Amino acid sequence: MSLQTDLIGLLGTDRVLASGLDRYLYGKDAGVYRGEVTVVALPETTEEVAEIVRIAARHGVPVVPRGAGTGLAGGAVPLGGGVVVATTRMNQIFEIDAANRCAWVGPGVINLDLSRAAEPYGLHFAPDPSSQSACTIGGNVANNSGGPHCLAEGSTVNHVLGLEVVLADGDVLVVGGKAPDPIGLDLRGILVGSEGTLGIVTKALVRLTPNPPDVRTLLITFDSVEDAAATVSGVIAAGLVPAALEMMDQRMTQAVENWLGAGLPTDAAAILLAEVTGDTPAVEAEADVIRAVATEHRAREIRLARDEAERALLWKGRKSAFGAVAQAAPDYYLHDTVVPRTKLVETMREVYEIGERYGLTMMNVFHAGDGNLHPLMMFDASEPGALERVHAAADELVELCVRNGGVLSGEHGIGKEKRDLMHLMFTPVDLDAQARIKEAFDPEGRFNPEKVLPAGSRCFDFGRPIPEGAWI
Amino acid sequence: MGYVTAEAPTRVELATCVQCGLCLPHCPTFRLTGLETASPRGRLMAMSAVLEGFAEVDDVFVEIIDFCLGCRACEAVCPGLTPYGRVLEGARAEIATQHPTPSRRLRRWVLGRALATRGFVSAATAVAAVVQRLGATWILPAAVRRSFTGLRPLAGRERWIGRSAEPVADPLGTAALLAGCVMDPWFSSVHEATVGLLRRAGYRVVVPEAQTCCGALAAHDGHASEARRMARRNVAAFAGFDLIVADAAGCSAHLKEYGHWAGDVGGAMAERVRDVTEVVAELIADGRLPRSELPRGPVAVQDPCHLRHAQRVVEAPRTILRAAGYEPVEIDQDAMCCGAAGTYAILRPDTSLELGRRKADQVRAAGSTVVASANPGCEMQLRSLLGPAYRVAHPVELYWEAVVEMAGRVPAEVDR
Ligand SMILES: Cc1cc2nc3c(=O)[nH]c(=O)nc-3n(C[C@H](O)[C@H](O)[C@H](O)COP(=O)(O)OP(=O)(O)OC[C@H]3O[C@@H](n4cnc5c(N)ncnc54)[C@H](O)[C@@H]3O)c2cc1C
Ligand code: SF4
Ligand code: SF4
Repeated sequence: MSLQTDLIGLLGTDRVLASGLDRYLYGKDAGVYRGEVTVVALPETTEEVAEIVRIAARHGVPVVPRGAGTGLAGGAVPLGGGVVVATTRMNQIFEIDAANRCAWVGPGVINLDLSRAAEPYGLHFAPDPSSQSACTIGGNVANNSGGPHCLAEGSTVNHVLGLEVVLADGDVLVVGGKAPDPIGLDLRGILVGSEGTLGIVTKALVRLTPNPPDVRTLLITFDSVEDAAATVSGVIAAGLVPAALEMMDQRMTQAVENWLGAGLPTDAAAILLAEVTGDTPAVEAEADVIRAVATEHRAREIRLARDEAERALLWKGRKSAFGAVAQAAPDYYLHDTVVPRTKLVETMREVYEIGERYGLTMMNVFHAGDGNLHPLMMFDASEPGALERVHAAADELVELCVRNGGVLSGEHGIGKEKRDLMHLMFTPVDLDAQARIKEAFDPEGRFNPEKVLPAGSRCFDFGRPIPEGAWI
Repeated sequence: MGYVTAEAPTRVELATCVQCGLCLPHCPTFRLTGLETASPRGRLMAMSAVLEGFAEVDDVFVEIIDFCLGCRACEAVCPGLTPYGRVLEGARAEIATQHPTPSRRLRRWVLGRALATRGFVSAATAVAAVVQRLGATWILPAAVRRSFTGLRPLAGRERWIGRSAEPVADPLGTAALLAGCVMDPWFSSVHEATVGLLRRAGYRVVVPEAQTCCGALAAHDGHASEARRMARRNVAAFAGFDLIVADAAGCSAHLKEYGHWAGDVGGAMAERVRDVTEVVAELIADGRLPRSELPRGPVAVQDPCHLRHAQRVVEAPRTILRAAGYEPVEIDQDAMCCGAAGTYAILRPDTSLELGRRKADQVRAAGSTVVASANPGCEMQLRSLLGPAYRVAHPVELYWEAVVEMAGRVPAEVDR
């Protein structure tokens, strides 16, 4: 029997998509790569996922998990055909354990839906990628996603207590649990961030975080990008870890404001969005520190969000930034790299220079607090040669960040996008260790092949040492 | 073959989608199915696929596009300003042209011709009134039966088209009212409230005789040339009025897009169009219409998609209800479609029912037996699912009642 017939036998015709157009629509995520899909399966239970994996093994085809497809690195894009396992229907919240501040959820649960469901208990799921209204917990786990508020709270890996995972032979593995310190080898850290290359997450036990008692959100306007960047370094140097510290440059602010109409200053060279959370006296004091540092660096205006509505509006603007860039050009290429905060000012200057050199408009919006840059290069893919210029500029960007002591990927994952740049960050020994883990979990290379690890990771054929002073 | 008409989605329009996926959770059909192929991003990609020659306007494409409600929730949340409503109508026009099935031909005639013909609508209304009085809904096709039970009583309704009414306050100007294809015979008490409030605020109200159906239903279903013809007729009928008011959200939303349907003159008309809720809320804010001190209890607010998502009007109905003494209760922070969606309730009754039930449950959970909805389709959907224990009315009707009550009686000055 054919692969498709087997899958239909398991899931019925409604949950197996195989027409040309259906497969085309699943051939891409939010990034720039398009892949080849053989068939799409939409399981609803762990057992169905296990059976899909067995069926795929029988037919010798790869399996590529997919959540909401908001990934930006091509992680959910099958490169050489295969079964796309879309988890969108596995969106059940099985249990919210308010006393122990955790929840068992299906991988297809949308990040924001979980926080909404936890709201009555005064809890939320702390990792808040800007895509949180759409992306899934499974995708967050697989990419170890972060967000503006991960500056203080840490990225997804700090919020995963347990996982249920379907392995390459269809077995179901459960790791971790509610116990604070599980015995045995702790595999959670290996599975979180593995981008669907080791198994399919079918359930996650995630930590829920109490909502802060009080919050202050400041919108700070600057006449130069350097001043904004220096303020970021200054705030951190003052010993503060704000809940969030985000930056947008002028072009970005203009695009967002054009859509949102929130009264953002479109004539400012850069704006910072700073948020502090905690008890009232503490947030007052911290907000004062930020004000002082900003003023010292020639802030033009410091606006305090008056109420929750204004705060929500400011965050909506920040979190819609990637979408808003479409107003500037038909295509964009987003990079996700990290530099030490102390190098922020000079890195930003060089980022704009690279843009100019390649004739590409750069728009910037990023998690300034942890030095996680998201330079966006605007282009029109239908223009001949445009994509090549973008790729060349992108490679320069990564090299720039690594040269300045940064790392490859802040939060969006390696996927296909940065796979071949891994050698910039890792020694052959590092890559070999990672490849061994992959082999142990997935000996036949069935899960999301050709992702994350560059070809040849196992045979010492790459080699550049890790840059000095790398900040991870 | 690709696209064959001038209505087709263009490369420039489609390029505004960067596939970020932020619209997905706001899309009812995606929420129901979890399918990329039932999501805004997927539909836009399907439209691009045809444009780029990777796909055809075939059965798969038709299903992807026809499953869409046209609620435009995706458009409202899209930071890239993707003109989803417009490209959807373009894709539907392609389907109507390339796949003129008997059902689509019938719809072209009903939505594009019959609704624009007053005699036809009157005759159909007369028949429907008899069916309604006899309770003989069994003779109706199954698909329309449920919607039908959501109708208001049809018998003995007056018509507003062709009439005019003088202001009963310091004159403020003249407002022209869109009578609408079925608003006038089926929902004339909404017109009554609209006209009463506008006069009370100082407007002379004119309901031009030469106007016709706004063409929204034809446009949404892809009957573009019919939609253009109706738009041109209305542009002529409404020439010279500074303020053009519609009291059905689907109609005001469509009139505001006449720039697309009737060129520059249409665009000039569109700039003068307001939904009644916008106008009345402003008149209340200006003190030209009163606020009631008498508390009337809670009212569940249902946001019609073409008011909230297409026109981004959110506060106005709430302002009006508060001025009437009601306490607006939010039922759905995402304002997801109730499933009525114009002809969708008839064409895809199962999905419509599923979404309608969700909305009805949200209303029940809100704990109010009064529901305000500013669009006739939503009103019928809710009434058919909530039953007689609930009152579903247009916000301006609820407000007009309060205004009349504040005056102690139906004041002579507001009688026609
Ligand atoms: C507008 C926008 C803003 C964004 N902002 C941020 C941000 O602030 N921070 C951030 O970190 N990221 C951000 N991202 C990137 C992206 O949203 C995140 O990586 C997100 O976690 C992906 O989730 P998803 O459900 O869309 O996963 P997908 O894109 O569908 O998949 C991502 C990866 O996870 C794997 N995967 C998915 N589900 C499973 C599963 N159940 N088991 C195993 N593997 C699985 C896939 O194979 C793939 O490799 C943003 C993206 C957009 C479009
Ligand atoms: S329609 Fe808008 S919100 Fe939806 S994927 Fe495209 S750009 Fe993003
Ligand atoms: S119009 Fe409504 S149903 Fe159609 S794609 Fe947009 S959100 Fe979904």
